[in-house]
Amino acid sequence: MSKRAHLLTGLGAVIAAAGCIPVQIQAPDEPIEINLNVNIHQEVIVRLERDAAELLDQHSDLFGEANP
Amino acid sequence: MKRNLVLAGMAAALLALAAPLTAAAQDETLAQARAGGLIGEQADGFLGFVPGATISADLRGRVDQNNIQRRQLYASRAAERNVSANEMAAAVACEVFQRRIAEGERYRDESGQWRQRTATQPVVMPSFCPS
Repeated sequence: MSKRAHLLTGLGAVIAAAGCIPVQIQAPDEPIEINLNVNIHQEVIVRLERDAAELLDQHSDLFGEANP
Repeated sequence: MKRNLVLAGMAAALLALAAPLTAAAQDETLAQARAGGLIGEQADGFLGFVPGATISADLRGRVDQNNIQRRQLYASRAAERNVSANEMAAAVACEVFQRRIAEGERYRDESGQWRQRTATQPVVMPSFCPS
């Protein structure tokens, strides 16, 4: 085997190691996220109820007047 | 010089008079279009054009302008509350659907379908609104 071939093999090993290590470290640390988008969405709307009412009252030019 | 000042004063007075007049006229055009079933409120918090309605260029411009102002309003309040502009718009839509759609007016529900509020058919609220 030539010197160059040894160098290339070494390089390959380094690249392979670099490619593997982050995966091995990250995998156990990653928390499993459960998507609760629908519930969160409605909760946000409830929280914004007062803001929304205020915007309507302050901008009758955009939203019109309240229904009789 | 004196004459110029007088003219400037008159112009200022005219502008002060004209500003509220144009604002009121704008509301009237939109109110008539809503009552006439040409446009309506949508579940996304914006005004929309009812399919099949003949929309004049003037009306289209006013609706677009109204929606641009709404978008700015939603975005600025959303930033204050640390939510997305879409979430703020949805919250406003809930209030609008509850309080700003009169009998006879058309509106576009959550699924994109246009409906009409009648004496016997109340407004169908979007599912994301608090009950």
